[in-house]
Amino acid sequence: MATCLTLLLLGALGLLTATGHRTGPASELLTPDPPTQPHFTGCRSREQETFRCWWSVGSFTNLSEPGALAVFFQMTNTLYAGWRECPEYTASVQNECYFNKTYTHIWTSYRVQLRDTAYNITYDERCFTVENIVHPDPPVALNWTLLNVSRSGLNFDILVRWAPPPSADVQMGWMSLKYEVQYRPRNGTRWEKMDLESGTQLSIYGLNTDKEYEVRVRCTMSAFENFGEFSDSVFVQVAQIPSKESMFPVMLLLVFGGVGLLLLLLLIILSQQERLLVILLPPVPAPKIKGIDPELLKKGKMEQLDSLLRSQNVCKPHSAPKDPWVEFIQLDMEDVVEKSETSDTQHLLGLTHLGSSHALSLKGDDDSGRASCYDPDMGAEPESIPPVREVHSPVVARSSFSTHIHSTTTTPEAAGMHIPVQMQPSSQSWINMDFYAQVSDVTPGGGVLLSPGQQSSTPSKNTDMKKKKEDREEDVAEEEEEEGKLQLLVVDSDGGYSSETVARQQAADAASSRVAEQAYHTLSEPPQPHPQAWQGGYLAPDRQPHMPYFSPEAPLASVLPPVSDYTVVQEVGGSHHLLLHSAAPQASVCPPHPLKLPPGEPALPLGYLTPEFLENLSP
Amino acid sequence: IGMILQGWLGILFCSIHGMLGSVLDCEVGGVHCTMSIEMLLDRAIQHAELIYRISEETRTQFKETFIPLALVTQQGHADHLCTVILPTPSSKSEVGQISDKWLLHSVLILVQFWINHLVDLQASLDHYDNTPQDLLDKTKWVSSKLMSLEKGLLTLIRKMLNENNLPLDNSKSIADHLASPRTMEHVMRDYTMLSCFRKDAHKIETFLKLFKCRQTDWPGCSFY
Repeated sequence: MATCLTLLLLGALGLLTATGHRTGPASELLTPDPPTQPHFTGCRSREQETFRCWWSVGSFTNLSEPGALAVFFQMTNTLYAGWRECPEYTASVQNECYFNKTYTHIWTSYRVQLRDTAYNITYDERCFTVENIVHPDPPVALNWTLLNVSRSGLNFDILVRWAPPPSADVQMGWMSLKYEVQYRPRNGTRWEKMDLESGTQLSIYGLNTDKEYEVRVRCTMSAFENFGEFSDSVFVQVAQIPSKESMFPVMLLLVFGGVGLLLLLLLIILSQQERLLVILLPPVPAPKIKGIDPELLKKGKMEQLDSLLRSQNVCKPHSAPKDPWVEFIQLDMEDVVEKSETSDTQHLLGLTHLGSSHALSLKGDDDSGRASCYDPDMGAEPESIPPVREVHSPVVARSSFSTHIHSTTTTPEAAGMHIPVQMQPSSQSWINMDFYAQVSDVTPGGGVLLSPGQQSSTPSKNTDMKKKKEDREEDVAEEEEEEGKLQLLVVDSDGGYSSETVARQQAADAASSRVAEQAYHTLSEPPQPHPQAWQGGYLAPDRQPHMPYFSPEAPLASVLPPVSDYTVVQEVGGSHHLLLHSAAPQASVCPPHPLKLPPGEPALPLGYLTPEFLENLSP
Repeated sequence: IGMILQGWLGILFCSIHGMLGSVLDCEVGGVHCTMSIEMLLDRAIQHAELIYRISEETRTQFKETFIPLALVTQQGHADHLCTVILPTPSSKSEVGQISDKWLLHSVLILVQFWINHLVDLQASLDHYDNTPQDLLDKTKWVSSKLMSLEKGLLTLIRKMLNENNLPLDNSKSIADHLASPRTMEHVMRDYTMLSCFRKDAHKIETFLKLFKCRQTDWPGCSFY
């Protein structure tokens, strides 16, 4: 031990003079000196169970013969302290001394010497412990598997696996190894070193798919720094996915194309801005009536407008068709009429059977809505089915009303209550318009005579005349109500309703069981010998039943056949008379029944009711 | 690296005081825990590994700091100057012949020896003028870990070998251990001590791993 130390010091002094500088563990090969003497080139152990030492003759070539040099060794810390010669000189390898398991002891200091046996010259010596010269064999079974490829397809990760060298007994725990993995691109020069790994696998991240990599691994004893040789390299390459790569430019193209289209669209929109605005947002036409200054149509100038309109005789029979709104209404009615070819209205009014004489026979004009523009000559043409239909078209809305009446026949009062509700809209439409014909007279036969352009209160008469009417035998006298009642009826929709109620009541009295349809049909029953009940619109001014007034006629009314609710105004007298039913032959269906006039009154032509007469009738 | 190791050894070695079958009570930083015998053995092996690595670092650092370049030899180790504290198997075949009991006992003896003598080393290191603080910290750290390892070994021996009353052997002094003459300089003596300690730390680690791989025939032995 002491000698070894002395030798060490001597060797160190020798090193000072020598140009070479030796450092590191004992296993490192020495840098050769120009005039070299025989020396050890290295001692290594592969598995910590055996070890070998090699030497070189240097420039002493005469000593290269086998046996010229000998290796002697001495182990410290053993009982046997003497020098022994190399247990085995490897036959296959020149200048190698092999120490087998028997002679290998770890945690034991060895001293080996290179001697020239002939001259007993020690050329070289080494001191070491076996565990310090262990260089493990390279790991085996190196392989790799693909972990994943990045979304872009440019990078990928791999898992590298290996097995410990078979010579190293790691199973027993005799050796604990640490591994170092290195990799580089195929044509690269610098190796990437990974951290020491104590397991037998390692993941490598972030490799490029377009490169081929070379991977290798080596190992060392844990906490020692003597690495063994590298394992054989494995080559890693991932086949590129052409679809993904080629997709990229395609997608770029699509994106740019879309952007270009958008820009183009924008340009078009901007250049054609005005036109597009016109198409997408058409200007709302200002209110306009032919012949009328639009200024007047503005808010707050209704009076002027009214006067203007009246003065212009908008309701001229010939010019009327030119009015857009009238035409509009007219068309509307026509459509309605056409639709209801077999509507209830027809049935109610018995138009199919009758000549519809009893129906309101406005002048056979296409403009049934323009009752006001009615030609006084209507009497000549009392009815024709189309006009009748047209006439009834405004009342078509009341068809529901009529049906309503039908349904409520048994409950006349209730029906009566309902009637007003339904009657209201139509009546109001009649009332509000000055352009509608006014019932100027009511014929005994129930015809209503209309007077054009009259602005008296008689317009309501129309309404009344056209109101549905159930059994009206007893209502004959109602026709004879005063004008005031007519007026009241007209203005007050309630009155109209009430009249309806009255009529209903009366009808109920007469033949309550009869359905309104029958009522209408009764009109077409000429053979009714009974005096015709007032077929025109009843004219009860208020809800109070004015039965007393007509009480004399009540019995008659009961006998009288039911009168239709609608009455055709056939003639309008100049003195606000309404001629409901002219004594036309067609009216045979509903022959005008003579009204029983209260005594004292001038004999009026049948169906003629004068306002004065009606006034007299009132209490 | 020393800092990393120290950080890694934030895994404190539990102070074992339980006797509950294979499950042991322990305490880590005031927090109660439990572990099995296997876990204790694993932790002992971890300690031994770290102690060995730190001893190697300490020796290297000492050599770089105090040993003149002229004296750097090929092997760089002075292991051969260490006396044998106790006869230990030196080859794989010999190791295969010794018993588990002997393995654990050997480890325990080694650990106890160096616990006592590292104190002398630390005292000696303090006498140097330019001793790096890192070096001193490492030696202190190693001493603390050795003490933890001793406790664990005692428990392991008690549990696995069912032995009690283990004698502590600390009679040998550092002078006996070192065969170097007193003429050696302080530096060399310390260096030799560090080398011997390193060698013994390697012994401790190897014995514990051999013991472990004997117990479970665990595939994890391939990782060592």
